[in-house]
Amino acid sequence: MDRALALRRQKILRLASLRYLLQHPWQLALTIIGIALGIAIIVAVDLANESATRAFQVSMENISGRATHQIVGGPSGLDESIYTRLRTELGVRNSAPVLEAYGASGNETLHLIGIDPLADARQGSRFGTTEDGVIQELITTPNTALLAAPTASRMNLTKGDDFEVSLGGRSYRLHIVGLIKPQNQSAAAIEGLLITDISTAQEITNYLGRLSWVDLVLDANADAALVEKIKASLPADAELVPAASRSNAMAQMSKAFRTNLMAMGLMALIVGMFLVYNTMTFMVIQRRHLLGTLRVLGVTRRELFQVILSEALLVGVVATLLGLAIGVLLGQGLVHLVTRTINDLYFVVTVTDLQLSATPMIKAALLGLGGTLIAAFIPTLEAALTSPQAALRRSTLEAHTHVFISRLTVAGLVLFTAGLLLLLIPSTAIFLGFTSLFLLILGMSFMAPLLVMKCVHLCNRWGSTRFDITTRLAIRGISDALSRTGTAIAALMLAVATTIGVSIMIDSFRSSVVDWLETTMRADIYLSAPDLGSGRSYAALDTGLIRNIQSLPGIAGVSEGRQVTIESGALLTEVFALRFSAGIQPGFKLKGGDPPSIWKAYLNGDAVLVSEPLAYHRGLQPGDTIELRTDRGPQAFGIAGVYYDYGSEQGKVLMERDLYNQYFQDRETGGLGLYLKPGVEVDSIIEQVKALAAQAGQNIRLRSNRDIRAYTLQIFDRTFAITHVLRLLAILVAFIGILTALMALQLERAKEIAVLRATGVTPFEVAKIITLQTGVMGLLAGLFAIPTGLVLSQVLIHVINKRSFGWSMESLINVNELFAAIVLAVGAALLAAIYPSWKMTRTAPALALREE
Amino acid sequence: MIVLMNRQQSGLLFILAMLLMMSACSQSADITPEGNAGISSFLESDDNKGYTRAEKIREFRFPEDHGAHPDYRTEWWYFTGNLATEEGRHFGYQLVLFRFALKPGRTTRTSNWATNQVYMAHLALTDVAAQEFKFYERFARNAVGLAGARAEPFHVWLDNWQVKSVNDDSGTWVLQASEENLEIALTLSPSKPIVLQGDRGLSRKGPSAGNASYYYSITRIDTKGTITLGEQRHQVTGLSWLDREWSTSALNEDQEGWDWFSLQLTNGYDLMYYQLRRKDGSIEPFSSGTLIGPQGGTTTLRAEDIILETRDVWESPQGGRYPVAWRMKILPAGLDLEITPYLHAQELDTTVRYWEGAVSIQGRQGDEKIAGNGYLEMTGYAQ
Repeated sequence: MDRALALRRQKILRLASLRYLLQHPWQLALTIIGIALGIAIIVAVDLANESATRAFQVSMENISGRATHQIVGGPSGLDESIYTRLRTELGVRNSAPVLEAYGASGNETLHLIGIDPLADARQGSRFGTTEDGVIQELITTPNTALLAAPTASRMNLTKGDDFEVSLGGRSYRLHIVGLIKPQNQSAAAIEGLLITDISTAQEITNYLGRLSWVDLVLDANADAALVEKIKASLPADAELVPAASRSNAMAQMSKAFRTNLMAMGLMALIVGMFLVYNTMTFMVIQRRHLLGTLRVLGVTRRELFQVILSEALLVGVVATLLGLAIGVLLGQGLVHLVTRTINDLYFVVTVTDLQLSATPMIKAALLGLGGTLIAAFIPTLEAALTSPQAALRRSTLEAHTHVFISRLTVAGLVLFTAGLLLLLIPSTAIFLGFTSLFLLILGMSFMAPLLVMKCVHLCNRWGSTRFDITTRLAIRGISDALSRTGTAIAALMLAVATTIGVSIMIDSFRSSVVDWLETTMRADIYLSAPDLGSGRSYAALDTGLIRNIQSLPGIAGVSEGRQVTIESGALLTEVFALRFSAGIQPGFKLKGGDPPSIWKAYLNGDAVLVSEPLAYHRGLQPGDTIELRTDRGPQAFGIAGVYYDYGSEQGKVLMERDLYNQYFQDRETGGLGLYLKPGVEVDSIIEQVKALAAQAGQNIRLRSNRDIRAYTLQIFDRTFAITHVLRLLAILVAFIGILTALMALQLERAKEIAVLRATGVTPFEVAKIITLQTGVMGLLAGLFAIPTGLVLSQVLIHVINKRSFGWSMESLINVNELFAAIVLAVGAALLAAIYPSWKMTRTAPALALREE
Repeated sequence: MIVLMNRQQSGLLFILAMLLMMSACSQSADITPEGNAGISSFLESDDNKGYTRAEKIREFRFPEDHGAHPDYRTEWWYFTGNLATEEGRHFGYQLVLFRFALKPGRTTRTSNWATNQVYMAHLALTDVAAQEFKFYERFARNAVGLAGARAEPFHVWLDNWQVKSVNDDSGTWVLQASEENLEIALTLSPSKPIVLQGDRGLSRKGPSAGNASYYYSITRIDTKGTITLGEQRHQVTGLSWLDREWSTSALNEDQEGWDWFSLQLTNGYDLMYYQLRRKDGSIEPFSSGTLIGPQGGTTTLRAEDIILETRDVWESPQGGRYPVAWRMKILPAGLDLEITPYLHAQELDTTVRYWEGAVSIQGRQGDEKIAGNGYLEMTGYAQ
């Protein structure tokens, strides 16, 4: 009997709950959209990140086949005789030579892999073609190639076609003898893959006699003796490394970048959680009367708790599902932004499709559901714990809120202090940095409601004689309904603060980069062999061309640069070898120390310079040494000083060319900086250089000083494009939050407004009250966002950026930016007020009052 | 002594080999020559054009002819032998290096890896006591020192499988090859002179001119050395046999395969005989052989001089029935031999599947009892 009754009661409760939700469709919809957007951002960022990383890993795996180890060389690769000795003297059968390079054809980046098909078959197919006579053609016919089928179809090419590919600044015509089709891997794995016989690869990369690396399949345990034998047989410039450590070292390069993106996504979710909290609070508050009545009628607390929490769960589930769907769509767009940045800054990766994988989806779903439930927990608990009598009385609610706010403020202070203390821990962990960042901003947003209350009180006290009745009503309304307005303001504040913080960080960063470009880029014209991304293939300039350019009249001096990546174990180190002709002043800005003596040590070849990020990441200081694997074996180089550089986040070793030549066989030059005599026209030299290059059959990339600065900044802006997108999305979530809050607030006050109307307040005045109220809310959010944003920016600049990339930068605070943030906050709030105002002014007072 | 050799298949062998290898790595359907018109058409199109053919009698020169003849499409250095430890533990071994031209002519490209010549090698060991047959296959191009053949000083190699002359004037060679837990290291000292097979070294395989090879052998080579299996090292002695053959096309289209015998008898005689089988089941009249006397004197054998009877058949688990035991009568010499395999399962399931294994011989010449060892190769049975 009791059970039947309980069941029926539950049914009624559920019906009441459902009816309530359906009666407030806009509120439901906005909440769902808000949470869904938060989740969508997380999913999108995660998917895009993972797609880029996966594409990279898959292509690495595809390229290294089943290789467990690799023999790698110095900047100029390996001597091919190492492979012959490996085969004929050590009998290492599971070995295959590889020559790798990046080329371009039209808009496509092609990843050239030169292989020995005869050795490769043993290595496990790295290309799945079974077309007739292909191997024979590859080996015996020069300039024959296999092209990845998806890439070929995009380029409108097929078997038997010829196409142009540009490699290391020269164009070659290749003949497609077969298409590479995906085997048990996805199409993304082979995207952009161009396979030739090693003979053709050597010929078209002009890498005669050299290999990029040798793949080995070794069972390190079973073949321990063999591993030792191979190591012992290698010359000083070669090293045997596990294949996995190599691809890890490459993947590691972009890790900081990806972590930062993820944090941006989390920020959006936190804003989304505020929104849930806000909505759930409303859903409880609006039904206080109903809930109180239900309790009086004998509904238990437990039942009430269950019903409201299941409402939250329902909202959470629907929002999560929607969020996942939007996230996938959003991810399609983001993946290109992420990929472009990774290509610009790290390594060449070809991603054409978003890889849908379960992990990011599950992660986001858990975050979404968990976040919704946590955010809904407090209001639900409150609803359940409130005594029926208290629930039926309105005034207890706001009284209760005020108690709650003081507790919240204390919690905020605790969080803020914890965040500060965390910052004091001397560490390089990015994770710790982000934790303290979140603690700080969460703490500040917890303190927001109290600040709102104080501000409103101050305002009203000051304005009691100065403001008219409608203004006072509007302002008091904010603190009177603090349980509703507080969270909305906090959410908007958080979003705007993020904008401020990130803007300041980007501005500071950009101005440091501009400053760095000014000091470093001193040559009038920069010239380089087109090189696609980093990696182990380096385009070089024709030596005859360099001589001809140097002897052009009008050239005062030349700097010759060569940038290579040195692999040793799991570490990749970029080395920049430079030579200045006499009279040219190197334009590097040194961090501390005595510049003249540092330059002297550097130019004498006594020591090298390291860039700031390298010094930071490896904990290096002037006077320390850095070990590099040279062609003469491992060698420790003394560090004369540290210089500012924003060109590479891994950092660089700057080495005088003569010193480099002592330790490396590589004699190529990758780029030139041309210094002109006074009065010489940049354009005329550019024309002459172009003519010389055409004569030498060398493709070159030629940029004037101005162009290169613009180009660098263009890459910089491209890198942060994704940040802008994420910021906008966070604002959108906050906007929806404030819209929800306002609508709930205004509709709930329908009666109050109706009374006002009945007492003679015009619809225009009602609209004014509402607009004023929201405007003040926006203003408060904007004002609180400024200190929060400033804190955020300083943590981003001095903690997050430093720990992620090792760059130090001067913080640059643009007052206009702060002003813009306030405008943004007020604007968003006012925009959100339009619909509620319109609706309120159109409601007939009699109708609203009749509900009494 | 050919693995597979009709007109299309000789050149096809290599391409086929590669295709099979590739298809083994991928999950695509099996590719068979019959099932793939593309391959045959490709081969028909330039057929043997551009290659030199074995058409007329030539003068052999040594040591030059121990080296490669890259103008011909195919060539091999075929070492087989029967060896035993002092305790009588019997081993058979095979090390063969094949050369294939993928294209006629030499290359003039700048990369050292550019070549038209590739090598394939098979290594096999018959361990009679363990009843075990091991075989391995390797490929490499004739470039950057990975594989090749040189006449003086003699050296033929692919990776670390090699035969080379010892650095003195003794005419001795060393043969070395290892794979997994097997290592063979042998010293080879020829005890008979070089024998030119067929008509002064021109060995015709069919009626049409040019379907022939240049073929010489060293039929008795004193051999000693070690065979190492894992931790176990066996000192062995015995006899080896070398076959050298190069050609551009050999078999006719109606020929299906062959049974090839290299026998070393206790009375000092050696015998080489190949029987070409036609697709209709008949025996090719061009089947022939040579009987080599203890001092190296030779007698040419024709199809009508030999009577062959199958004594036992072994069915390959991979498909195909091989006549692994034979009775052979050599009429002009009055020899009557029973040829039985040391192991039934001596099939090489390599890119091209064939049976090649050590055999023991019991028989008589008139009243005299005769014994011996040899190698038997059978092609064209695999299904």
